[in-house]
Amino acid sequence: MTRDQRPIEHKGFTVWFTGLSGAGKTTLARGVEAILRDRGMKVELLDGDVIRQNLSKGLGFSKEDRDTNIKRIGFVCKLLTRNGVVAIASAISPYREVRDFVRQDIGSFVEIYVKCPLDVLVQRDVKGLYKKALNGEIPNFTGVSDPYEEPLNPEVIVDTSLETPEESIAKIMAKLEELGYVPPAPQQAVYSADEEKTVEERLRALGYI
Amino acid sequence: MPWAISKDRKRMVVLSVDGVPYTLITRLLACGELPNLAAIVAEGSLVRYNSTLPWVSSVAWATYMTGVNAGKHGIYGFVDRQPDSYKTFIPTARHIRSETLWEYLSRQGKRVVVMNVPVTYPPRPINGILVGCFLSPNLEKATYPPQVAEKLKELGYRIDADPWLARDDKAKLLDELDLTLAKRAEAMFYFMAHEEWDFFQCHIMETDRLHHFLWQEMEEAHPTLAPRFYAFYRELDRVIGRLCSRLDDNTELIVLSDHGFCGIQQEVYVNHWLAQQGWLKFEVETPQSLADISAQAVAYSLDPGRIYIHLRGREPKGTVSPGAEYEALREEIASAALELTEPKSGERLFQAAFKREELYHGPCFDAAADLILQPADGFDPKGAIYKNTLTFKGPVLVGMHTFDDAFLYIRGHQIKGGTWSILDATPTILQLMDLPIPSYMDGQPVAVKQ
Repeated sequence: MTRDQRPIEHKGFTVWFTGLSGAGKTTLARGVEAILRDRGMKVELLDGDVIRQNLSKGLGFSKEDRDTNIKRIGFVCKLLTRNGVVAIASAISPYREVRDFVRQDIGSFVEIYVKCPLDVLVQRDVKGLYKKALNGEIPNFTGVSDPYEEPLNPEVIVDTSLETPEESIAKIMAKLEELGYVPPAPQQAVYSADEEKTVEERLRALGYI
Repeated sequence: MPWAISKDRKRMVVLSVDGVPYTLITRLLACGELPNLAAIVAEGSLVRYNSTLPWVSSVAWATYMTGVNAGKHGIYGFVDRQPDSYKTFIPTARHIRSETLWEYLSRQGKRVVVMNVPVTYPPRPINGILVGCFLSPNLEKATYPPQVAEKLKELGYRIDADPWLARDDKAKLLDELDLTLAKRAEAMFYFMAHEEWDFFQCHIMETDRLHHFLWQEMEEAHPTLAPRFYAFYRELDRVIGRLCSRLDDNTELIVLSDHGFCGIQQEVYVNHWLAQQGWLKFEVETPQSLADISAQAVAYSLDPGRIYIHLRGREPKGTVSPGAEYEALREEIASAALELTEPKSGERLFQAAFKREELYHGPCFDAAADLILQPADGFDPKGAIYKNTLTFKGPVLVGMHTFDDAFLYIRGHQIKGGTWSILDATPTILQLMDLPIPSYMDGQPVAVKQ
């Protein structure tokens, strides 16, 4: 029946998740991705771990290599953004300067700082990386043997040691709606019961319902 | 700061007047009733163009503000169905599934002021000011940013005239329409003067109200009400004169309407007709809402002339199978509608029937009615769930919308020959503002740039 199932037309923008390894960037990015897709938007998720296996294959973890990696991800986000796609990047991106460079370059840019205290991350250690890093088995490990520069003015800060993923995702979606990047969820009630009655009465007087 | 505009940048003012027919303003222009409009018509182009289907303000203005068909923006009427239920809801700005003109302009770094355009409640954030339409429950919640409401209150601004006044006394409604127009104009001139803007639109809703309740009195030259109908237009013309005196040559001006109007001969209760034909059945004798529909029903209607097949898998009690049965039923209802006549005069009630795929395409296509009936002028299709008569004519609502009698005026530019509609307005605005027209827009620019 449907002739055209293409996603809705909308403006492109980039949602950039930054934070330490294991803080929950990918989980939240996937959650936001699912909601945006559900609302009919065109979305592409660029996950730092995946990018390092292809686009940035061969790059290491020196500051220079890290910056190159982020600039590459940022460049792809820019191309997607200007073509009306929502680009979601999930990468540690520890250095403020290169994050700000990417922000300037893309324009429509929403920075999400996925915050989580180091002791909680060490305790969680889902990938077993912190243990190795603390034992000195992984050099240049952000938060342990490499710096992480917190964003000074991110659009959203979520603290995954205090919030559930659902709460963090709701916070991010609310900001995207507030900034006008995403139309609010249609199922959200527009009117209270009394307000709806007022408007219905007006429409009834005009013969529309 | 003064509104005399000394900057070089291109600016745009749109004055939208709801439901003003091309044929009415050309008649008023011809008898010299609208001298200010006449003056600008002499230096621009005025053409007749089409509305949307259905031809109601919510669909027409949602189409205008997005530049896309309803299959993309998702607004099909003043009431719509909630998926998988028989509940209905009032579509609002939150349900518009496409970027609006003012959001697009904001993204291009333009500052915009938008007042009162239908389906702008609840206000979506823009770079500038937005004052919501008559779907706003109150002024406090109608504006972006919220603090603008304070200024509007101070100016005595009104969202809409109270349409219930017409039940008691049409002269009282006219008093309120005059006042609402005056306050709207005052607020418009205030924001024009005190705000920075690249794009400014003010929407006059009062014309639509005037026509709904006083069209017949105008046509029949009612001794006291018809003169006031024309006096309202003369006042609107003075507002246009004041507006034009404040615009410089760098500012483009568009005046446009969204549909035409004509007198109502009869309201037509489509659900009554569907029931008479055996297509619509209810579980109770006097149904209160769509939820009372029977599993034996195969079709129902929402205002105005939107027919839905009671489809299995879509409506909870639907039994019509998608495919051949659905298609055959649409054909049958469409042919019967086109044969349907007014019992006394024998006049046909509908002039055309469209399958939804003839009108819409896009991601919101599935929410469209299955069949859209276009009435003959004078016969106003209504969506009342239960009425015990096919047609009715009352003294209050005396004017109805028409499809092919809206107008578009552009100052200082010719308009290309062709058949245009309100869908073409936004691409034309972007053309005149020297901005790229997004490829997903369904209309086309119609100005011949001078």
